[in-house]
Amino acid sequence: MGYTRRLQIRNYIVEALLILLSLLIILPLLLMVFGSFMNSTEVLRFTLALPEKWLFSNYVTVFEQGGLGRAFLNSIIITGISSIVNVVTSSAASFILVRRDTKLASALYLFFFMGLIAPMSVITTIRVVQWLGFYGSVTSVIFIYAALNTAFSVFLYSGFIRTIPKALDEVAFLEGANMFDVFFRIITPLILPVNATVAIMVFMSVWNDITIPIYFLTDSSTWTMPLSIYNFYGLYSRDWNLIFADLVMTSLPVLILYILAQKYIVSGLTAGAVKG
Amino acid sequence: MKIQKRLYSYYLIWPALLIYSIFFVLPALIGLYYSFTDWRLDRLEINFVGWDNFTRIFTDDTLLLALKNTFIFAVATVVGKNVLGIALAVALNMRLKTRNLLRAIFYSPSILSILVIGIVFTPLLRTEGAVNRILESIGLHGLSQAWLTDPSIVIWTIAAVSIWQTTGFQMAIYLAGLQSISKDYYEAATIDGATSWKSFRHITLPLLLPAININVMLTLIGGLKVFSEVFILTGGGPGNASQVFGTIILRTFGEGSWGLGTAINTLLFAFVAVISIPLLIFMRRKEVSE
Repeated sequence: MGYTRRLQIRNYIVEALLILLSLLIILPLLLMVFGSFMNSTEVLRFTLALPEKWLFSNYVTVFEQGGLGRAFLNSIIITGISSIVNVVTSSAASFILVRRDTKLASALYLFFFMGLIAPMSVITTIRVVQWLGFYGSVTSVIFIYAALNTAFSVFLYSGFIRTIPKALDEVAFLEGANMFDVFFRIITPLILPVNATVAIMVFMSVWNDITIPIYFLTDSSTWTMPLSIYNFYGLYSRDWNLIFADLVMTSLPVLILYILAQKYIVSGLTAGAVKG
Repeated sequence: MKIQKRLYSYYLIWPALLIYSIFFVLPALIGLYYSFTDWRLDRLEINFVGWDNFTRIFTDDTLLLALKNTFIFAVATVVGKNVLGIALAVALNMRLKTRNLLRAIFYSPSILSILVIGIVFTPLLRTEGAVNRILESIGLHGLSQAWLTDPSIVIWTIAAVSIWQTTGFQMAIYLAGLQSISKDYYEAATIDGATSWKSFRHITLPLLLPAININVMLTLIGGLKVFSEVFILTGGGPGNASQVFGTIILRTFGEGSWGLGTAINTLLFAFVAVISIPLLIFMRRKEVSE
């Protein structure tokens, strides 16, 4: 048996094993999707089967009973604004940090970098937000998410801006441009793909998060999708068809974003893997 | 230098610096102070109590168990996610017909919320749930367990769910790392008669070091900070069997023993720093010398 033939057989075996393994991932997710269309007795068997009748009405029911319209809006506002704030502030900060090679600049970089390691101090953050007088508000949560993601974003932006030659800035300065011109008209267009990567990664992690809402969103009118669903899960723990419908609905936005923006996610991951 | 100062003014740093300092750094510093006090919800005055809170963490049974569980979870997930992540990445870097589809499938759970994964797994992990039914149907009765209600294994079950969910994320970083390795090395090795294991050991692993570096750091830090997985799957139960630092902090917050809660957080920070900073420095050095 020749070498290539042996290699081919090996590949077939590996592929077969991987397909088997992938069932381990797919089956629980399919159980959720199929279950979300079942009636409330059928779903309790928790076996993988197509629904006898596809009940799209489950989705209407949870949307109305779970108050998901409001939650969806809250999630969009919190996630959207904190991503934008994070992108704008972190890219601007990284630009200066990279371009100024002073001791202060590298100290500041380290100061931001520490945020990648340090765990958040939740109880005292609540205290600080209370002092500022907006505990429980959507605004406080937006600022907290922007702060929590600053370290990661500065890290990603700095790595990228460092690869843009400083000569580009210098030419513009000679032409009489100021710092804002350079940042918004030269740097920003060049880092658009990084902006997309950062925005998407922040969006996904904020959308999925449950920790911050548990501590900071005390009033149910400000709840995000995951928190509303967690609450619904506690109240209607027998209606698994409705719970599954809820879970599918909260997953849809990130799933759609993933499908549309896969390439930016991959480039973010590559930056991590290659630069370390 | 003067020109640099004028051209790149610190103005542009201020917004990020302010948000980060007020909502992240300031609470951390205040927390450091409060961890040495008896700050409570029901008392107005706050007294300095020295190391009392920390002594309590190391003498209270529940808190010690939470400490142990936090470390079990962190170590189990670092090993599981990275070993499986590398294996999946190497396999999916081969010329397989379905590899793009398979990559997407393995990656997909990591984009979902732990809320979704946790709730979907809860009925599956019950004693009469699908996991045990499947084990029994393939003749592995001995392996069927009370996954979420047996105190001796519950933290391992939670770690397994976390590995199930995010190994695909680690895999994706490893894949990116693998793709940056030139094919020439492998060709040369094959010509010299190296086995696949030898090329993996002597080419793949050393050149994958930057990716291993970032992945071990990410999983370790994430593992020590664990909260949501435990909160959704067991809430720290049965009893206190699966409490970790993250869930204990929520409980101390609810009970109003805030001084103790901040002390636990400070300790967590100390652990993360003590483990990850030397690891960062060591890995950087190793990378350069390879």
